[in-house]
Amino acid sequence: MEDAVWKAVQEQCPDAHQVDLLIALPSFNHASTIGSVLKAILAGLNASFANASILIVNADVGSQDGTPDIVKQTVGDLVPVAVIQPLGEGSSASPFALNRLSYSGMPGREEAFRSFFVLTQRLQAKACAVIDANMRSVTAEWMSLLVKPVLESGADYVAPVFRRPRYEGSLTNNLIAPLTRSLYGKRVGCQVGGGYGFSPKMASTLFQKKFLWEGEAARFAIDSWLTTVAVAEGFQVWQARLGAKVQDNKAGAADVATSLVQAVGASYHYMEHYQDVWEKPTASSAVPEVGKPMETEVESTPIHVERMMKGFRQGLRDLLPIWEVILAPETLAGVLALGLKDDDDFRFPLALWVQTVYDFAVAYHEKVIHREHLLRSLMPLYLGRTSSVVLETRGGGPEMVQHTVEQGCQTFEAMKPYLVDRWRFQ
Amino acid sequence: MSEMWQEAMIAAYREMMNRAVLFLPKLMAMVTFLLVGLAVGWLVKLLLMHILKVVRFEVFCERMGLTSALAKGGVKQRMSDLIGRFSFWVVFLFFAFMGVDALDLPATANLMSAILGFLPHVIAAILVGLLGILLANFSGEAVLIAAVNAQIQGARFMANMVRWGVIIFTGAMVLTQLGIAKEIVVAAFSIIFGGIVLAMAIAVGLGGRTIAKEALERRLRREKAGDEFTHI
Repeated sequence: MEDAVWKAVQEQCPDAHQVDLLIALPSFNHASTIGSVLKAILAGLNASFANASILIVNADVGSQDGTPDIVKQTVGDLVPVAVIQPLGEGSSASPFALNRLSYSGMPGREEAFRSFFVLTQRLQAKACAVIDANMRSVTAEWMSLLVKPVLESGADYVAPVFRRPRYEGSLTNNLIAPLTRSLYGKRVGCQVGGGYGFSPKMASTLFQKKFLWEGEAARFAIDSWLTTVAVAEGFQVWQARLGAKVQDNKAGAADVATSLVQAVGASYHYMEHYQDVWEKPTASSAVPEVGKPMETEVESTPIHVERMMKGFRQGLRDLLPIWEVILAPETLAGVLALGLKDDDDFRFPLALWVQTVYDFAVAYHEKVIHREHLLRSLMPLYLGRTSSVVLETRGGGPEMVQHTVEQGCQTFEAMKPYLVDRWRFQ
Repeated sequence: MSEMWQEAMIAAYREMMNRAVLFLPKLMAMVTFLLVGLAVGWLVKLLLMHILKVVRFEVFCERMGLTSALAKGGVKQRMSDLIGRFSFWVVFLFFAFMGVDALDLPATANLMSAILGFLPHVIAAILVGLLGILLANFSGEAVLIAAVNAQIQGARFMANMVRWGVIIFTGAMVLTQLGIAKEIVVAAFSIIFGGIVLAMAIAVGLGGRTIAKEALERRLRREKAGDEFTHI
């Protein structure tokens, strides 16, 4: 794969042997958006990196709408550009590709990223920025925000943070980010997609680590594990405040259960691999951020919790035999007691939620039931906790939600010994 | 007269003693086979249970729902114990049949070859049965979780239907494999399954047409509305 990708670039850009910046765009039928994305990128490069040698690479996985032609037309002679086809090693035939596709909304995304990492290595680029071709909200500033921390401040990985309504990204805010923070000691938002910045060190490490791409790891979309692996590997992680996130074929727009399987499954999966890292007690620290401070928005339509509550109660009624196998007895007793509460008084206590997430992690590790079933059976409990957060905070402003999320993170950290004990001595 | 009687008695005694002399080694061979069978069966059982313990077979059975399925059927023993016991009896019976064969009785002349000929069917039937139970539990669990997450009210009913469907199908396959009333099993299975599918088709097509329409409309409306926020 490495040679095929390199050969394709060399054929289209014979002079590109070494560049300062590699700007990469994975695409699949993104003709409607890729033109405006490229214009914003070119404006950003012109404004911030006018003297740098640059190569734009579009990894297209078989668009039928002329996306590669639009790339070449838009970039023209302004910057060298190459369109490549990321040839996966039989990955398109993988039965797991469907789940990844549902999550990321794009086939061959992982192979495209691998191609970018190879090219970063071969071109000895000082930084690589990957921008999604379906983003409608890319601005010229994104280039500077994603690349400058790598070039000037020694960042290895620049993760995106977006401005969004207060309950948006509920799974990320209430589970993924707090879990990552408690495990690896870094306060990262764990938001996915849009744009990323990579140092050559990070790119080559990710490419070379086979366990990220093979075996069970091949089930998970790259966006679900990038941040986790970056913090677990001890890379210098930065966050770029990129403003609003408006995109076509929204990532994570798959059904909630599939998103949960991908996001939570990836976190649990890498807990096994990085056990030596997270078992050590660590106090969390903030990661550096760039970009203008962003205000959390209030949702435009009111959130109705009835459907989520119904999902939780049905889970309580029907999935009890499965939860009995997964949850510790005291956790199960706490969850059962929730069924007695009326909808208006319903509260899913934070400590119980953290205990639930940790019990599921241990059960995943112990393989007490089939892992996909285990992850999917977490869904009603997640709906219960989310409806509880909405009920607790809907009278307050966005700050109240942020406060609840922060409380959640602190509780995850405080209860980490519970996880370590159960993980070791179960 | 008394001489003839005496000769007859002696001849009968000699005949019996001759037969006894001929039969005793066979009897001893049978007893030996039984004793060796006990010892080998016990050894095989121990060895197999040790291997199952090393490969964490009990954990696997729990994960696949086999332990709970057996518990529901009133079997309280661990799966590895059952397999150990089964292996003991298979080995012991194997030796016992060899012992019976060693007796060389006309009634049991072809016993061993008949049993050996049937053994592959029994082993295949056991494997099919085990795999069927595993598949039934796995499918039932998958359907239950998917239906609960889709908030379908009859989730447990659907899961049970799938589980029992696979179990019945497995049962039919096991009986066919064993050659027990092959034609009756196939006919009964076809009638029952065909009947169920036809009944469901008629029920949905006639009786539940309105309900199905409403359910579909509800579902489509809900999907159009979608969630009020994204979760990732």
